[in-house]
Amino acid sequence: MDSQTPQMDPRDELIGHLPAMRAFALNLTRNSATADDLVQDAVVKAWGNFDKFKPGTNLRAWLFTILRNTYYSLYRKRRREVEDPDGKMAGQLSEKPAHDGHLAMTDFHAAFAQLTDEQREVLVLVGAEGFSYEEAAEMCGCAVGTIKSRTNRARKRLAELMHLDDEDELAMTDAATMAVVTGTSVA
Amino acid sequence: MEKNRRTKKLTQTIDENLRRAYADTAKEPVPDRFIKLLEQLREQSGEKQKPSGDES
Repeated sequence: MDSQTPQMDPRDELIGHLPAMRAFALNLTRNSATADDLVQDAVVKAWGNFDKFKPGTNLRAWLFTILRNTYYSLYRKRRREVEDPDGKMAGQLSEKPAHDGHLAMTDFHAAFAQLTDEQREVLVLVGAEGFSYEEAAEMCGCAVGTIKSRTNRARKRLAELMHLDDEDELAMTDAATMAVVTGTSVA
Repeated sequence: MEKNRRTKKLTQTIDENLRRAYADTAKEPVPDRFIKLLEQLREQSGEKQKPSGDES
């Protein structure tokens, strides 16, 4: 519509968001092949809908919304069929084990894989991507309060799964975990 | 309050782990299939697109 916008064409910016879209998709599908199919579908859908994108608003949030809707409408059912109860797929999350503190990271991935779709999603959006609760609520089509409590519950569950409950502060400061957190290597 | 402080610290630890796990994936180079896909989409829409408003 408005061709006078000083913003970059979102079509040119799309490629810059692909790595994040792939990461989000991998977190949702927990399977790298499926994740890339999902990203492809979302990109095609986004491309056909760029006239609906409001310049100046958050393009990544918009793309994530499309990706997420595509996942829930097309992929979630499909994934159930290939769900593996042994959690073998969880291993695919850490294709490249970090040389530093990989043990802790593997634990983290394994714990993360046990969360529900909604919990993983909200942790990626709020925890990893740093979207606000309000943005995440809009993207997920639910109330801000729902996002807040879901995020808290997801963090809590993750902490439990990693045996990092809040009475056990020591566990959080152990060398491997700190290495993961700070990105330094364990001597 | 003590509990709050601990919860806050725990939240930070979890989010830092999250960001790191996520960053590992997001660091991977974009596979060719997406570069090709974008080229295709661009060609298709190029045929029916009005000139872009971005002239320098």
